[in-house]
Amino acid sequence: MTPVLAIAMDLWREAASRRWFLVLGFGLTAFLLAMASSLEIEVVDGALAATRLFGDAVFGTDIRAADVALRPVFLAAAYVIFYGGLVFGVLSTADFAPSLLSPGRIEHLLSMPIARWQIVGGTFFGVVGIALLGALYASGGFTLILGVKTGVWTGRLVVASLLAVLCFASVYGGMLSAAMFARSAAVSGMVGLGLIVAGVVAGNRLTLAPAFEAGASRAIFEAITAVLPPLSTVADLAAGLAGTQDVDPSTLVRRLAGVLVFGAALGMIGVWRFETRDF
Amino acid sequence: MNAAIEAAGLSKRFGGAFGLGVPKTALEAVDLTVPRGAAFGLIGLNGAGKTTFIKAMLAVLRPTAGRIRVLGGDPEDPAIRAQIGYLPERLYLPPSWNARQVLASTARLRRLPASGIDAEIDRQLVRVGLAPEDWKRKVGGFSKGMRQRLGLAGALLGSPQLLVLDEPTDGVDPLGRGEIRQVLAEEKARGATLFLNSHLLSETERVCDRIGILHGGRVLVQGPVEALATRDDRWIVRLEPDVERGGAPATEGLDPIGENRFAVSGDAQQMNLVLDRARVAGAIITHLERDTKDLEQLLREAVSKR
Repeated sequence: MTPVLAIAMDLWREAASRRWFLVLGFGLTAFLLAMASSLEIEVVDGALAATRLFGDAVFGTDIRAADVALRPVFLAAAYVIFYGGLVFGVLSTADFAPSLLSPGRIEHLLSMPIARWQIVGGTFFGVVGIALLGALYASGGFTLILGVKTGVWTGRLVVASLLAVLCFASVYGGMLSAAMFARSAAVSGMVGLGLIVAGVVAGNRLTLAPAFEAGASRAIFEAITAVLPPLSTVADLAAGLAGTQDVDPSTLVRRLAGVLVFGAALGMIGVWRFETRDF
Repeated sequence: MNAAIEAAGLSKRFGGAFGLGVPKTALEAVDLTVPRGAAFGLIGLNGAGKTTFIKAMLAVLRPTAGRIRVLGGDPEDPAIRAQIGYLPERLYLPPSWNARQVLASTARLRRLPASGIDAEIDRQLVRVGLAPEDWKRKVGGFSKGMRQRLGLAGALLGSPQLLVLDEPTDGVDPLGRGEIRQVLAEEKARGATLFLNSHLLSETERVCDRIGILHGGRVLVQGPVEALATRDDRWIVRLEPDVERGGAPATEGLDPIGENRFAVSGDAQQMNLVLDRARVAGAIITHLERDTKDLEQLLREAVSKR
């Protein structure tokens, strides 16, 4: 077993005992079960005839093709998974890296026959693995329920949730890096939330830029936001993908690449700091 | 290469970079050698630099100057650290794991072969005296002593060549200390090198055959305990039945220190003269040995000379 996987496995075992993740697991399961048991959908010849949730009509009474009628549902679900997942992920994983660096634990880890970068890598992939599991469980479960009830089978929501995981990986790169400079869950969490906000601003930089006076202040805003990860743009693209809207693949790839490069750069700073630091 | 640990001119300073803060010297040109197979105790007052030295041995921190070699190699090399079992002073154990899970994790990180690892974990748990009914209990409910035993079991996994134990008997009850001493004696007999850092000097004295005294980041004394503790100028003698009956000349040079026990100061020739007088006066020598100092005395003397 590689050391990176060994570290990640230890992190998963530790996460499994945390209330945060038990709450997430129970919460998602309860939501999916509630959806499965209380969502009544009548589909006739591929058209959505009626939909009731807890006995009340939803979507009005217009009869539309089932896959068309479900697009807004998938679109909304993609946004919920994207932003909900990012925020929950930041809050629930903020103390993993600081905990790793706690006195007694870090000395023990560093005394093991593993390279320092492998400790950082194992923590990173362990946390991203948890995010991946949560995203697949939520999006897969939701897709399964709607598929069974409507006969509309699509993997688009799952793909959208994978994009959310990649964005979370980028944000966590920054959180991990912050923990290497200040061993504090609060600092790590604030950096994560700050990056999400910055990512929303960066994704809307062209809309927001006119709010600044033309000249130096606008130029500074544009320069700063140019290097920030455009998370909201990726969120829009992911939701569009889930809602069967037209998504330009090259735009998606470029935006996603920008987000990942940003996260990788922050992660490298964290690795450098960890490699050179005394404990 | 006979040295398990070899430090030459090892220095470590903290802080003071870019003119910020007051620089602190934790280790100052430390030269220290621990032969393979030795049981070495590093002793010193709080803040002497003992833990810093251990961290340098394990590449947890990097020296500012000098070098340290462990088991003939650089401790930065994972292959070298693979041969080291370490029990940290402040041991962290995930509270929701059980004892076997903790050791399984340590075994994975130590990259021990998966085959037979379960048996090895059980063997070490038995050795350190953790009862089988505790093996599947969450370690969050363990006492300090049980945590120390579990940490020691982790250090022993895979029979490492070097055991670095920082306060191994901290929080362990007196009988437990005896059990741990027994385990350490077995490890030494196996050929492992022991490196102990303990505030319990009596424990160090019982386990170690060599010591080093660290003070203010410098090694003041190092060598075999016997050589360091034995006094060349003082002897302990037991005389029976009662030397005092011999009168004043016979007790000249004898310093009573207990029932029929006397201390004799001076070199071997002077000691023989004193004892000859006592024997002429009717005393019988039943026991004679060189006087020795305990580690507390050694530490006090070394620190006060500084």
